[in-house]
Amino acid sequence: MSDSKYITLISYDGFEFVILREAALISETIRAMLRGPFREAQTGRCEFGEIRGPVLEKVVEYFHYHHANRDQTDVPDMDIPVDICLELLMAADFLGLDSKPQMRDIS
Amino acid sequence: MRDRSRQTRTAGRRIMGPQSALTDFLASHNISANQIRLDAEARRRAAAQDNPEGQADATQQLLDEQAQFDTPPPGPEANEAAVVSAGRSTRGRSAAQAVAEAEERKKGNEKKAIDKIKASKKFQKRKRDAGGSDDEDDIIRTLFNERAKPLPGQMENCAICDKRFTVTPYSRNAPDGGLVCTPCGKELAKDDPTPKKKPKRTSGGAVGIRRQAQSKILDGTYNVGGKSLMSLCIETLAKNIDLAEDLGDLPGPIVDKIARKLSKHRLLNPTTLSLFLQPSSQEVLVYDGAKLSADDFYRIFHSVPSLKKLKVRNAIHFKDEVVDYLTTRNITLEDLYLHGSNLISEGKWIEYLQKKGEPLQSLRVYWTDKHFTDAVLAAIPTSCSNLTRLKVCHNQAVTGEGLSHIAKITTLRHLSLDLREAIHPDVYIKLLASIGPQLETLSLTRVSELDNTVLDAIHTHCRSLKKLRITDSELMTDAGFARLFTPDWSNPGLVFVDLQKCRQLESTKPRENPDSIGLCGEGFKALMAHSGRTLRHLNVHGCRHIASHAFEEVFSADKTYESMYKMEISFCEEVTDFVVGSIFRSCPNLRELNVFGCMKVKDVRVPRGKILVGVPNARGMVIEGDED
Repeated sequence: MSDSKYITLISYDGFEFVILREAALISETIRAMLRGPFREAQTGRCEFGEIRGPVLEKVVEYFHYHHANRDQTDVPDMDIPVDICLELLMAADFLGLDSKPQMRDIS
Repeated sequence: MRDRSRQTRTAGRRIMGPQSALTDFLASHNISANQIRLDAEARRRAAAQDNPEGQADATQQLLDEQAQFDTPPPGPEANEAAVVSAGRSTRGRSAAQAVAEAEERKKGNEKKAIDKIKASKKFQKRKRDAGGSDDEDDIIRTLFNERAKPLPGQMENCAICDKRFTVTPYSRNAPDGGLVCTPCGKELAKDDPTPKKKPKRTSGGAVGIRRQAQSKILDGTYNVGGKSLMSLCIETLAKNIDLAEDLGDLPGPIVDKIARKLSKHRLLNPTTLSLFLQPSSQEVLVYDGAKLSADDFYRIFHSVPSLKKLKVRNAIHFKDEVVDYLTTRNITLEDLYLHGSNLISEGKWIEYLQKKGEPLQSLRVYWTDKHFTDAVLAAIPTSCSNLTRLKVCHNQAVTGEGLSHIAKITTLRHLSLDLREAIHPDVYIKLLASIGPQLETLSLTRVSELDNTVLDAIHTHCRSLKKLRITDSELMTDAGFARLFTPDWSNPGLVFVDLQKCRQLESTKPRENPDSIGLCGEGFKALMAHSGRTLRHLNVHGCRHIASHAFEEVFSADKTYESMYKMEISFCEEVTDFVVGSIFRSCPNLRELNVFGCMKVKDVRVPRGKILVGVPNARGMVIEGDED
């Protein structure tokens, strides 16, 4: 299970999203969860006690969007629904979905 | 019947509006859509006569259509009669009779018009030209058609209220044919359930997208792949900021990003400012205070009582009263950043520093012209005993005297000066002698009068420099730079070096530089030998006399510069394709290389993930990243 190509993300209200492991690894937080000696690393199931289903759904959509466009230039922006914008922002912060991956590699 | 068909055909040409190429083509072959329509109507009428019950309806419909097609009428003079007869059919009479009458009258009108044409000089002339043998009818017809073209500003009867009005290009069509007058048109527009949507602006196709990408490169915000989720969210939020009432308990760095984004769109005003004033916060960063008044600054102070760090750009209304208020409140600022505050007088600056200077650790003042003076700087050494960072930029008042006061600030670690007054190098040497040893940042922007003595002073006194900027010097020489960066300089490697435009300025003999003025080959080699390992950011923009062999030596195959992240070598004439290739080889972590004005750079292979900016070719600035 732990070396499966897919992992499962679970929102606090019980929604489960099965997603490509590779796509989810752009999140620092998820990478740390799957790397360490944690239950998540063994089962491949990550529970997020603070993220609602609709928000996590958007996050998963973003993972796929980012994964599909990782080598492309001129990527059109993903659509963000205004009503969950703030929650999504909190989730993005929690998951470490910030920019500047290049800077991190050097320092 | 033949006569009639000809007339209706000419009548068909009278239909207003754009005419399609097809219609024109058909007309030239004597085929008329109108004729076809009329024939169909005639058939229908015949059918209706067979079936008397449907007759009334059919003729009424016919009349309506007739009304629609008969306007506009043949010519201005024949205008009224035709319109009235067709548009306002009297229902009392038999409909068929009305039709016949209208037809009759129209014929009459046309006949009149044709008679007129026949009498006109134009017709006579054409007839003469054609030699009299040509078909007279043809000439009449062309002239008739010319006349029949609708003129702008015609009168017309409204299809709804029957009032006379002048037709304009904006007149609306009535739902069942004909035109309507302006008041009725407005009524129609009100009832219209689907308002016309503005056509969506397209991005401008391939060119627009490419232009946008180039603009991003120049802004330094270019990235391969999609934007991060966080920036997407922040952009969405900035677009809809008027819907937000409270940013909730978002972490500080995110709030700051939102503030930047808002300011970029100039959306920061008294209303949106409230979103960023959290009572528990210790810092308020206003990136665009142009729309804020003095009252808004008061509001910052009383809603954020534990304020420690204040940054306001475009702080136009940060004036004496605001400083007074700040002085009297129980707020102890540790970091003050003001940009464009020209309404604070010299006296108020001194008063503030004397009363509140003690806890101040960082003071940055940008774009002031008169009131941030030597006297203000004189107050710092006595009142600000904790100041570590001082930045005075775009200042027109500070002179050498002010620098001698800065020399007394023994706690200073970071010093940035961009002064408009010319100051003798000796003043800088004195300054470096007293505070040089502990300085970590030394930034001297636009100092055309500084010479090698200052470089020597830096070499002698500075021990902990990390960031060094000396720009626009016209007197420093290559030997001076080489002496500064000797291996025995006890300063550890620099992280940031900016020696932009340190070069000889001689317009008559631009290529020759016998005295090696500016940063040339030797100085550059010495710099890279001393700081190459630690350098992250290097700017030698416009140092034209760095020779190509110096570049080749510095970036030879056996040397690597792991830390280098961004390089700016624009307007270095000797840079070639080979040099650029060597730079990419020697700096594995380089992200961006600027080569504007390097005319010998023609066609370089750019490694994956790196950005080369400023190569003039048909594709614009080369970006790339697909060469492995």
